[in-house]
Amino acid sequence: MNINLTVNGQSRTAEVEPRKTLADVLREDLDLTGTHLGCEHGVCGACTVLFEGEPVRSCLVLGVQARDHEITTIEGLADSSGALNHLQEALRDSHAFQCGFCTPGFVMQITALLQENPAPTEAEVRAALSGNLCRCTGYETIVNGVLAAGERS
Amino acid sequence: MTDIIPVQRYVGQSVKRSEDQRILSGQGHYVDDVQLPDMLHATFVRSTIAHADITSVHADEARALPGVVAVFTGAEIQALLNPSAPPLAMLPGLPAPVFTILATSKVRLVGDPIALVVAESRYVAEDAAELVEVYFDELTPIASTADALDPNKPIIFESEASNVLPGGQDATSGDVDGLFASAAGVARAHIRQHRHQNVPMETRGLVADFDRESGMLTVHSANQGVTMAKMILAGQLGQDADKLRVLCGDIGGSFGLKLGAGREDIAVCAASRVLGRPVKWIEDRSEHLIASGHAREESMEAALAYSADGDLLAIDVDMTVDTGAYPGMGGMITGLIQQMLPGPYKIAGSRFRSRSCVTNKATYVAYRGPWAAEVFTRERMIDIAAKELGMEPLDLRLRNVVTRDEEPTRMVTGPSLASVTTRESLERMAEIVDLPAFRTRQAEARAQGRHLGIGFASYIEAAPGPNEGGGGGIMGSENMRMRLGTDGTVFVYTAQMPHGQSHETTFAQIAADEIGVPFEQVRVIVGDSDTSPLGFTGGSRAATMAGGATLHSSRALKEKILDVAADLLEAAPGDLVINDGKIAVTGVPVSAVGLAEVAAAAKEDGDLEVTTAYDGGKGGWSGGTHCAIVEVDVETGHVAIARWIVVEDCGKLINPA
Repeated sequence: MNINLTVNGQSRTAEVEPRKTLADVLREDLDLTGTHLGCEHGVCGACTVLFEGEPVRSCLVLGVQARDHEITTIEGLADSSGALNHLQEALRDSHAFQCGFCTPGFVMQITALLQENPAPTEAEVRAALSGNLCRCTGYETIVNGVLAAGERS
Repeated sequence: MTDIIPVQRYVGQSVKRSEDQRILSGQGHYVDDVQLPDMLHATFVRSTIAHADITSVHADEARALPGVVAVFTGAEIQALLNPSAPPLAMLPGLPAPVFTILATSKVRLVGDPIALVVAESRYVAEDAAELVEVYFDELTPIASTADALDPNKPIIFESEASNVLPGGQDATSGDVDGLFASAAGVARAHIRQHRHQNVPMETRGLVADFDRESGMLTVHSANQGVTMAKMILAGQLGQDADKLRVLCGDIGGSFGLKLGAGREDIAVCAASRVLGRPVKWIEDRSEHLIASGHAREESMEAALAYSADGDLLAIDVDMTVDTGAYPGMGGMITGLIQQMLPGPYKIAGSRFRSRSCVTNKATYVAYRGPWAAEVFTRERMIDIAAKELGMEPLDLRLRNVVTRDEEPTRMVTGPSLASVTTRESLERMAEIVDLPAFRTRQAEARAQGRHLGIGFASYIEAAPGPNEGGGGGIMGSENMRMRLGTDGTVFVYTAQMPHGQSHETTFAQIAADEIGVPFEQVRVIVGDSDTSPLGFTGGSRAATMAGGATLHSSRALKEKILDVAADLLEAAPGDLVINDGKIAVTGVPVSAVGLAEVAAAAKEDGDLEVTTAYDGGKGGWSGGTHCAIVEVDVETGHVAIARWIVVEDCGKLINPA
């Protein structure tokens, strides 16, 4: 099937099999490999993208479901010069991540949280991130980074 | 104008990580991000049965599916490999049973790879894998070490005489029997620890890219050591080492798992070589959970003898390891445990026996200090002895821990304890944990029917370990190469292969300070078997050994830079300083030239390059003490951690967060 969708503000088209996941369409057909696949069944959160501004697991969404919709991926956050946004900067300052594989999913999930709730409490941050797994950090530095970003915004 | 004085500007500072710009913006480059023209996709047909003879494999229907390029059975893959390759082990040279890379005549665990399907897309490959039919004659599974030790059960590997691997430990140090006979009491326990699993967020995977014209095999991998992976792949594939290159980008975690070369890696390389096209295999999470490897399933019969005053006299541990099927770590882990068992204590006798059993479960792999059973067992026994003696566990440890300037300064099993700081970590822990206050809280809670508990554990780790005989501790010296680039960039080629540890940042901090250049002027190069020195990341050695290698290599390179600059500036090298990337004659800042100018003035190749092997200097131990305060719900068994305190000897902090 031929689909049109908007990704990171740009209109894109792709010829995709109906069974192909949005994650695979983004990674293979649109060359946006920042979205990572950790489990491919909706558990780990690494593949989280924004679908019309709402966080979704792109491994549980079919590419064809994104037809005529607006998707934001990790590549859409930094500006065209590559400068990190204030959330990314805050996460960098707190040494939030280590290996970086879970990172895109966390950053997109946090982006959605801060849009809805610009200055979340620690409990709200932990609740919002309860569906994202990280195996390196123990989460403390990630939570700290989100809290710092919240205070800055 | 004031003089230029070199200062340490980066080490000890919370420097922002170099890795984060790309990681936080989706620009990291992991193995699944590798896309090559004409690339094929692989998936494995795996066993659903733990132990069985394979009677037949039918792949014709799968081969006929449009989009399928090839289906390889175990025998077909084996025919593409080096027939005289040594047994496949996690580290080269470790003993291992004989087995084929894919299962041929029998399967030995659920998840055992039986056939390799290669297709134009991963989706088609998975469709085809479902069409491959495998027929089995089921055998009795060896599900536990008790099964493995039962001589009436079937033997898993034909090359072995039993399900117990050769090379078990049986070592006694000191007069263990005499010490036990003289003891006022003996703490005894049977300790079991369950299987663990590494579960990095990124599963295993590779892209093998064979070029028929040049005969060159390029392997894009995610691996803790590209040079070691290359060595194993070359041996198994019968590929000339000069026609094999292993590359590695960002790695999404590993924790000991992604070392050497897996059976799947070898099969995918063989497929690419025969097909003449790049082949990608990315393990899915289900495969990962069943087949990538498990860790730590061990049980210990432990006894600790003590005197009436609370002197720890002797320890005796009998350990059984469940190595699962396809064991690749041999006796390496139990050998370390035997040596480390007495830990940093004045324990005069130590006996250790072990056996490693093969079972029809996932392969035992390295995971975050795979030898740590020695810590858990010894420290648990000390807590039990403290309870029997009516002593505070912290006091019992302080009574028995070695002191740096008094005998004994060696474990009874041999290793030197020089520079060990466990006593200091215990003393600091005693300051932080207010034990009398805790005991009051504990008694109050108990009166209300709540169960609070406290546990301590001290550990030391040979990172690098004592420098005795050969240097560099048990894993040898740390290799490094450094050079000054023509544009003045300082290149650091480390044998380490970071997978989250921030080596690109921390080594650059050290090099920048030692040479006197801005942090941004240092580039740490990793992940290319063509340029990486021999080595790998493991054993907690990066900060101590590779950090030390960076320090000493930087000093050596700086000397060379000063020699060249001395000619350029017509001054003695001793009169020159490097600061902020500029070299000047001391006291004459206007004379300053940049490093690029020095690089241009070098006459010979190698004038501005150093290759070093750091032996760890005097060596020494990493270590610390942990304390856990927990509340146990005795109805449900739920353990809630109330407080966890860590006192760690970090030495000089490189990059405190």
